[in-house]
Amino acid sequence: MKNKFGVTKFFVIALTFLMLIVGCSPAPKTASNSDSSASKTPDSSATSSASSGGAVDLNTLDWTKADDPAVKNEEVTILAVDNDGTVSKMMQRFTADTGIKLKILPVDYNSLYNKITTAALSNSSDIDLVEMDTIWAGQFMSGNIVEDLTNVVPADIQSQFTQSSLSSVQFNKKLAAMPYFSSTKHFYWNKKMLKDAGYDAPPKTWSEFREMSKKLTKSGQYASGWSWKQAEGLNCDFVGMVYSFGGSFFKEDGTLNVNSDGAVKALQYMTDLIRTDKTIDPASLQWTEDEVKKAFFAGKIAMMSNWEGMYPALNDPTQSKVVDQTDVGLLPGEGNVVSATVTGSEGISIMKSSKHKLASLAFLKWMGSKSFQEPSFIERGQYPVLQALYSDPKVKAADKTNTIDKILAQFQYGQNRPNGPGYVEWADILSSEVFKALAGNKPPKQALDDAAQKITEAQKKAQ
Amino acid sequence: MRKPAKGGAVSSLRLSRRGRKDLLLAFLLLLPTIYILLKTFVSPIIESLVWSFYKYNLMDGSDVIWVGFRNYKQIFGLNEFWVSMENTAYFTVFTVGAELVFGFFSALLLNQMFGGRLFFRGIIIIPWAMLTLVNGLMWNWIYQPGYGGLTVILHKLGMLSANSNPIWLTNSFKIMTFASIADIWKMTPYMTLLLLAGLQSLPSSLYEAAVMDGAGFWKKIWHITLPQLKPAIIVAVVLRIIGAFRVYDILTVFSGDPTTSVSFLTYNYAFRYFYLGKASAMAWISTLFILALILVYIRMLKRNSELE
Repeated sequence: MKNKFGVTKFFVIALTFLMLIVGCSPAPKTASNSDSSASKTPDSSATSSASSGGAVDLNTLDWTKADDPAVKNEEVTILAVDNDGTVSKMMQRFTADTGIKLKILPVDYNSLYNKITTAALSNSSDIDLVEMDTIWAGQFMSGNIVEDLTNVVPADIQSQFTQSSLSSVQFNKKLAAMPYFSSTKHFYWNKKMLKDAGYDAPPKTWSEFREMSKKLTKSGQYASGWSWKQAEGLNCDFVGMVYSFGGSFFKEDGTLNVNSDGAVKALQYMTDLIRTDKTIDPASLQWTEDEVKKAFFAGKIAMMSNWEGMYPALNDPTQSKVVDQTDVGLLPGEGNVVSATVTGSEGISIMKSSKHKLASLAFLKWMGSKSFQEPSFIERGQYPVLQALYSDPKVKAADKTNTIDKILAQFQYGQNRPNGPGYVEWADILSSEVFKALAGNKPPKQALDDAAQKITEAQKKAQ
Repeated sequence: MRKPAKGGAVSSLRLSRRGRKDLLLAFLLLLPTIYILLKTFVSPIIESLVWSFYKYNLMDGSDVIWVGFRNYKQIFGLNEFWVSMENTAYFTVFTVGAELVFGFFSALLLNQMFGGRLFFRGIIIIPWAMLTLVNGLMWNWIYQPGYGGLTVILHKLGMLSANSNPIWLTNSFKIMTFASIADIWKMTPYMTLLLLAGLQSLPSSLYEAAVMDGAGFWKKIWHITLPQLKPAIIVAVVLRIIGAFRVYDILTVFSGDPTTSVSFLTYNYAFRYFYLGKASAMAWISTLFILALILVYIRMLKRNSELE
């Protein structure tokens, strides 16, 4: 009898204990949208800073106080893509310029998203600043992960950025990040290989590209290589292709549209290249941009579409087998379309959970200025977000291969991918269906119709 | 771990004052461990069960709403879920089957007396000790078209005509098959070790008696080794099934296709799309599948011991 009572007592105690740990209601809490950190408008705070004198709230987002001497003792941590250590080196100048300590957590692009979301989920304040790709803006804003900088960064500062770099970091007209670099995909070709095949100029249209490709493909050499592994790189190439075939990713009312006539034509064209003509290195279906770059550097493919940053490395004999044989220019168009490409510009955001917001803002102020943007181009070939720098004599002088104007020309034809909160899921669906068509498992039209239907379903289910 | 302590605690309640004091001290000392275990294992399990009844989309700013069984209903109607289940089942059956066969014969081999036996027993662990991701990257290189190891070897052996350059990873079936091969290479040593441990406990007298009766190699395996090894085989197979069912990391190397496994799909729902409610429901469904497997396992073990 006594024994039985003991057991019951034990379980009651254990259960109470468990309840205490789990919390009375383990139900998820509603996302609080309250802005605890005061993000004042620059105008209103300008007066207060003058009157308040020394006392500065180090966790406030106040542009005018970012240079305050009190910020100097702060240390901020940034999560950024850095594959070779050059970004860290560049960013360390922030400490030299401002006195604020900077800790850099370098990651590769493919783990960036997970690192950011994990940090956000765990509510950790270890990371103050994160690199944000254009496609995450909606999720980061709606998910309350990053600070809204719309009223933090003064309007006259925002107007100094190139339109494309600014729109890349906005969602619903709200500024989710400070523009970090400008980027689109470009067309690179091997002049020597084209000449050997009897061509003096690169293709202007995709029809020309297709004809030229047939001549450029011979044993051991393919006309082109692409980043068509089932991943975001495939979506990037597809977006550019859709717009050059006269399609669009948005209907007139702004909703997503993945199976327009242009899109079907584009996918049919891509499928023809790889399945009928066989002028594309078949390994493209397992390649990301990096592998395409390697193949081009090794002289295995004659043409490729890729991001900036290929020069000066392409002319460095220790890295490239095609020194002085290559050039860059506009991606081909088709019909009335001169050219079209996808934008891949990025920004840097301040995490909501950061405890060093003023120092983080000081970093953004520095990063968006000439102090960072100019050396970043000269030493790393990363394209500036400040309009004025494109006519800057120092920048021009550093451009030894004369590529800056060619790159700029392509920027005009940049097209943004949708960046709503659901983008990551839609993009997964789209790349999966596009890949099926390229691999010959589905006709292009059906693949895109299926993608459209699945995306609609996903949008409905997310409601 | 806690069960024997609990049993002891209850009986000592009746013992004496001294016993009670000891119990109190034991409980106090256990408290931190119990707390950590509950907080890290039990609490998330309960929390995810609760979440699975809510619409809880973390990243689109929408409200958290109680939806009852809607998440479960949607998942059962989700084509991707069933495709991923099929792929997981294929992966599990293929890998565990092959690992069992290869593992059994390499265990037999390593159980023989020969020079350098210790050395071979040592190096067979290497694939298993390697990080799954490193293993995946290595096999990903092997599967590259053109310069990849597989294509090069097949070309050299003349099994592939000089002009043909197949792309190995074009659809989810191929991805599953090739990922399975990579997994078999990595996990066979684990099976070998478990079975080798079992083999070593078999009495040699049984084999001697069989030889006297005129049994050959296969007969010895069929009538002595397999029946005697059955408990070890059951343990090894069940552990591997549970492991294979949760496959995730190796697949991410080969493909971005989330329908290749249930864990991959669940991960995407939780940490890429942030549908935490639906992801919790999905995790619970696959947990129930694994629980069912464990029940079968316990049954089999029980029957086995009853037979003895």
